[in-house]
Amino acid sequence: MQFIPVYLIFIPVITALFIYVFKNKHINYLALVAQLAMTILLIMYFTAYGDNPEATLFVFGDWDARVGISLYNDRLSISFMFLTIFTWWMVLIYTFNFRETDHNFLFFLMFLQGVFLGFLQSNDLFNLFVFLELTTIIVTILIAFKKTGDAYRAGIYYELINVSGVLFFLLGIIILYNSFGTINLLAIKAGLEGMEDLTALRMAYIFLMVGASVKAALFPLYTWLPKAHGVAQSGISALLSGLIVKGGLYLFIRINDMFSPANYSYSDFFFVVGGITAGIGVMFALSQKDIKQILAYHTVSQVGIMMMGLSSLPTNDLFYGGLYHVFNHALFKSLLFLGAGVIIKAYRSKKVADIRGVMRTMPVVSILMIVGMLSITGAPLFNGFISKTIIKYGIYDQEWKYWILFFVNIGTATSFIKMSQIFFGPRPMTIILKDAPQRLSMIIIAFSCVMLGTLYIPISSGYFGVDLSYITPFGLIPLYDYIATLTIGFCFYKLVIEKDVTMVRYIREFKVSFETANYLMIGYVVALVTYFIIL
Amino acid sequence: MDPILTFVVILIGFYGLSTSTNIIKSVFCVTIIESGVILLFLNLGNLDGGTIPIVGEGVTMIADPLPQALMITTIVIGSTVTALALMLCIKVFHHYGTVEWAEILRREEGK
Repeated sequence: MQFIPVYLIFIPVITALFIYVFKNKHINYLALVAQLAMTILLIMYFTAYGDNPEATLFVFGDWDARVGISLYNDRLSISFMFLTIFTWWMVLIYTFNFRETDHNFLFFLMFLQGVFLGFLQSNDLFNLFVFLELTTIIVTILIAFKKTGDAYRAGIYYELINVSGVLFFLLGIIILYNSFGTINLLAIKAGLEGMEDLTALRMAYIFLMVGASVKAALFPLYTWLPKAHGVAQSGISALLSGLIVKGGLYLFIRINDMFSPANYSYSDFFFVVGGITAGIGVMFALSQKDIKQILAYHTVSQVGIMMMGLSSLPTNDLFYGGLYHVFNHALFKSLLFLGAGVIIKAYRSKKVADIRGVMRTMPVVSILMIVGMLSITGAPLFNGFISKTIIKYGIYDQEWKYWILFFVNIGTATSFIKMSQIFFGPRPMTIILKDAPQRLSMIIIAFSCVMLGTLYIPISSGYFGVDLSYITPFGLIPLYDYIATLTIGFCFYKLVIEKDVTMVRYIREFKVSFETANYLMIGYVVALVTYFIIL
Repeated sequence: MDPILTFVVILIGFYGLSTSTNIIKSVFCVTIIESGVILLFLNLGNLDGGTIPIVGEGVTMIADPLPQALMITTIVIGSTVTALALMLCIKVFHHYGTVEWAEILRREEGK
């Protein structure tokens, strides 16, 4: 029972190796068997240890916990693990037919799952670094898997930016090791109690935060995300947007938890960064014409909204709004990407203007996409509504914060009104390939979207112990709110976006080069230093 | 070697990363930053007059073994990253006929 965390890391890795060695037709099923075994193991682990996190500390080889490799799980990491395994189930089902001829893809996919589960569980900083680098390498390969020119370019851009960001993380680890003589997260947290406030420790915090921000694609460092998520295969885009980006946010939570005895006042800074990220993401999403670019920029903006929630202290309800949004976004964004993949494959075009009449050609996919769109714009009874409302209530007393969220909501609504144009219009001459596994995975995700939007009270109070009964999706006020948002969004779409005014065209053609992206990274470090050390 | 010097190496790497217009040079700059970080960590774990961390007869002062163990891992990861990045460089060159960031962007728009 105690070894389950280790099994969860090694089952997918060993399965991946088996897949690579025996490349045959039936190996596809081995992945599903391994996935089933992992699901059962995780449920067993949760029922045994979910309530006492102290018992989950696992040190390899009985070394001293201060120097050994150790794994540690609490409710947060177990919930992320459930999300990971769920997302991988969906991607495995979605790509089932595609994989019959391509075994290398499945190899990397399963390997990445083991690496990501290790990342979620590891309890020392250096292991976090190793798993981050491994994630970067495998994700680079998966982005470049399409073997087109822009896929290779996006892959190398992703890799170089992320590696240099994670090297900042390593610098932070060095400073912490020099001060504490250990790299164990729990030991450092204990060591920080009663420690005087040193500039070196603040420097370490800043460097660790830069690593987390690059991974989470916060404002000046987001430039790799639209490129990478826009060109990858749809299943991979769903995985990247749904889960891998959340790795950075998970890192953010863990580092802030580790530094919680030092009481750094990070809330306002990261709220502003989150707000700018959300605004910029929506602004670029509105100007794009490529369906996958729109979705990728929306990932940037939604990460900003999550950051607005997560930047508050973990005792606030606002924090749980951000956390709940992480899970909700993982569901609806993977649904949208998977649906977009089906549509792009049928129409052989990524441009919104070229795709018309999806409602007539693919009614099931259209309904599922509409579920995803209603969720992301925050319609009552869908899961996006719950988390956005928690965040809205959390910042109700501060007007400027409220306005940021309001404008982001309008922008999101406008952008999805623009995207919903693909459903209307006459039936075009297209060949529709019926792919049952793809439909199945999308139906399961859409169902979970609705379930999280209606059964949020028992789920949140049972799992995290947060009472959300003050949020009611039934009733007229949320509905009026939503309709008003949609109306403003529709007017904005008709007046500005559809006419493609000069401003919109200018934003669309605005490109950040690789060198500028690095200047921005250094600028972000300078901003953090200014906020945390000089001020 | 002074820790300040390793910081200089890191800063040279970042200077190169933000000014070089060539993909291969960018890859090299990442490697330079990585070398700087590795040197810094090894420096901090080192003792003046200490020997390698293998305990034997008459050994009293040894360097801290943990940074060395961690940095060998970092070197391995770094070589993997470099290999993958250079492979992608070759592929980018095959598709675009150039390894200049700006030139690639221009050709992408021209398509």
